Amino acid sequence: MATSMKRRELFSSLAGIGASPASPQACTGASLIPNVPLRTHEDTEVRFYEDLVKGRQVIINMMYAHCEEFCPAITSRLVEIHQALASRMGRDLFMYSITVKPQEDDPAALHAFARMHGALLPGWTFLTGDAYDIETLRFALFRHDHIKFDLDPASHTAKLRIINDAINRWVHVPPMASKMTVLQHISWADPPKSFEERLEDNRKLQLAIDKEHALYGYRKIV
Amino acid sequence: MSRTEDNQDGLDRRTVLKTGALLGAAAVLTSKQSLVLAQGAPPPLAQPVLCGTTPPVSPPTRPFIDALPVPQPALPQILNPLPTKAANTGAGEAARDAHQRWEQFLPLVMYRMTAAPSLHQHHTDLLPSFMWTFNGTYPAPTPLNVYGVPTIVRFVNNLPTTPPNTTFGVNEITVHLHNGHTGSESDGFAGDFFSTGFFKDNHYANAYAGIDAFGGIGDAREAMHTFWFHDHRAGFTANNNYLGLNGMYIVYDGKDPGHELASPGSLRLPGYYGVTDIPLILTDKRFCPAANGRNEVFQVVGNGAPGGDKWVVNGKIQPKLTVRRRKYRFRILNTGPAKTWNLSVIRPDGTQAPLTIVAVDANFLPSPVTLTNRTLDVFVAMRFDVIIDFAAFPAGTSVYLKENAAQNVGVATADPAPGLPIGNVLMRFDVVNREPWFPADTPAIPAVLATMPDPIVPDASFQWNFTLVGGRFLINGLEFDANRVDHVVLKGSAEEWTLANDVAAGNWLHPVHIHFEEGRIQSRRLRVSQNPDVFQDVPLLPEELGRRDVYPLPPQNRVVLRMRFRDFVGRYLIHCHNMNHEDAFMMVRWDIVDSVEELTRKRREIDERRMLAGLPPQYTKQGGVV
Repeated sequence: MATSMKRRELFSSLAGIGASPASPQACTGASLIPNVPLRTHEDTEVRFYEDLVKGRQVIINMMYAHCEEFCPAITSRLVEIHQALASRMGRDLFMYSITVKPQEDDPAALHAFARMHGALLPGWTFLTGDAYDIETLRFALFRHDHIKFDLDPASHTAKLRIINDAINRWVHVPPMASKMTVLQHISWADPPKSFEERLEDNRKLQLAIDKEHALYGYRKIV
Repeated sequence: MSRTEDNQDGLDRRTVLKTGALLGAAAVLTSKQSLVLAQGAPPPLAQPVLCGTTPPVSPPTRPFIDALPVPQPALPQILNPLPTKAANTGAGEAARDAHQRWEQFLPLVMYRMTAAPSLHQHHTDLLPSFMWTFNGTYPAPTPLNVYGVPTIVRFVNNLPTTPPNTTFGVNEITVHLHNGHTGSESDGFAGDFFSTGFFKDNHYANAYAGIDAFGGIGDAREAMHTFWFHDHRAGFTANNNYLGLNGMYIVYDGKDPGHELASPGSLRLPGYYGVTDIPLILTDKRFCPAANGRNEVFQVVGNGAPGGDKWVVNGKIQPKLTVRRRKYRFRILNTGPAKTWNLSVIRPDGTQAPLTIVAVDANFLPSPVTLTNRTLDVFVAMRFDVIIDFAAFPAGTSVYLKENAAQNVGVATADPAPGLPIGNVLMRFDVVNREPWFPADTPAIPAVLATMPDPIVPDASFQWNFTLVGGRFLINGLEFDANRVDHVVLKGSAEEWTLANDVAAGNWLHPVHIHFEEGRIQSRRLRVSQNPDVFQDVPLLPEELGRRDVYPLPPQNRVVLRMRFRDFVGRYLIHCHNMNHEDAFMMVRWDIVDSVEELTRKRREIDERRMLAGLPPQYTKQGGVV
């Protein structure tokens, strides 16, 4: 009952028609991210918002075990990202891969998928659950506000979602962008840096630009 | 009926209305802080409290209450520290390449545009809304410039740093002058954003394209006049623009001198900024119910910009403008984020009145185009300079600017004209007789407005394929990556580009914007059969015959255009200017380089990378440089 209510709200919001004027409320994590119950690849039950996202910086993608087009490539890109950020993974940065086909992917299937891709890594959790709940989640995290997009589950490969719930910052990145670019986008959701740190970053960026000019006579990448 | 009396009347009425509005505001805003605000002192702004994730119906607003405001001209100033050729990182300037052609175009005029939170009231019936604006006003003040007088605009980022982030904007900006012929370091490249506490000097030569070929300030036939500047932050352009980070930028020259007096070469179009030459900056917004002394603009953190249910002109909902019985020029600009405007002028009897297009995307058309039975279709980021002759209407009548899609007014109002529901009215023009002190009408619009530059002879051709695969917007098989270049051209060369829209979903028309130089549309084709592939020529509209920088690309269409790449080098962009699409990575980086060796190397790298990713190479077939 509660779920179908939520679905209706989601669809009415998609169509851009609110039934009644909403009362003011903070637009933060708890109101944006469904707290649906899910099962992990280790077969434990978790609440998505409360247990996995609240107060954390997380990287979320949607996949399914038998997806053959983009998912394996995306998973292997995520393995690279995990390696690059290994010191933060499981501490202040977490990775969640949610199946879009929960009927097919039980915890054991997800576990097998993770093992096959070398993704049984600290801070990385594969998730399955009730189909309605997963659909609600997909909608909340990945919607484009366009009906053709949003009703097409194939659009799940369109982006990685990065959320830092502590600062209410949401970022997305095309999963098949270069490793460097994906890492950059993840850093856009990092905890805010002090002005001194940003001054130092700016100085380093200028040095990198100047170095490329010296090497190539133009700016190649940075 | 002396002019003093008239003036006095007008003033009195205005004062009365203003006082009424102030009293109304004071009645609602009870805190001391808000009263201080009403007097103009800048208090620290409380962060907005938004209204959930379900789009609300905006509160009712009475039509034609507010007068149409005109953005103030921006005030030049002496910047401290003075602008420098290389980034002054020690003083807090964001890292960038050194300005190109700096010594040749030393800046003579400087502006400062500070991005910061401010309150803006969209209608007398609404409380102020928390916005991000330049210099505290929405739309931003308008820099008024002259060709041959180079400028620096110092964009300062004073957006809030304090977490939690309570708006859906991101406090990092990079500002693009659309469509300035500028070096890449001043072009607002999407990946070159800078954070709070920094500034960046954008150098605008205010020269025509063709500086190398023609010398001096370039080829005067490349003149552009109506520019606009806006945030271009990768992934958040829609959000930051919806919050208000945009404004207009006008450049005058002898042909379009900013006045109406007879002078050599002048077209003598209506030309007094804010008097007879008026920007109409269009956007759509949705508002939360009143709370905490505000009607916040509806937004959901983590999402793109929502569709609005209120049509906003120069920051006001359904404003009115008193016009004299003479010609006026309106510089219509669609700042997006996503809505297309289909406009027409409606007489009191409900019939359509003529409207004459003189310029498209800042460029004068070869000859004026008068629309009498179809709408003016303004896609995101397009500019249309139009002339409306109000001498055709008797004093005391009102004419209306109609938008085909209805907005939510929320106040029962009789149709202002037969067949024109109030929701479709964007704004009202109240026609009065011209007072003796008001500038006399300008001469008839000249039959020839512009001579086109020499035809562009392409050195190569290239196709950009826009597709949608698995929910991913792809251009030539890839999504935007600021660190990856997808096409390279040689400075001084010209190419013929085909924009191909094969996006199946949603029948989207993509307003494709190409940075750097204006192009010329050669042809437009529509696919009439898929298998075999058959295309049919679509005749160009008369307003497509000039130069432009936004190319509306309907589904299954091919638009063939030619453009040159002169005078500057660096990283530039092509993107869908539906800002929500642009933020979903429907954007591509292309570079201009100045040596054949570099061109060859970069093109080879592009093809190698494409082949590694299982994509067809781009250059080997073309037999060109690689």
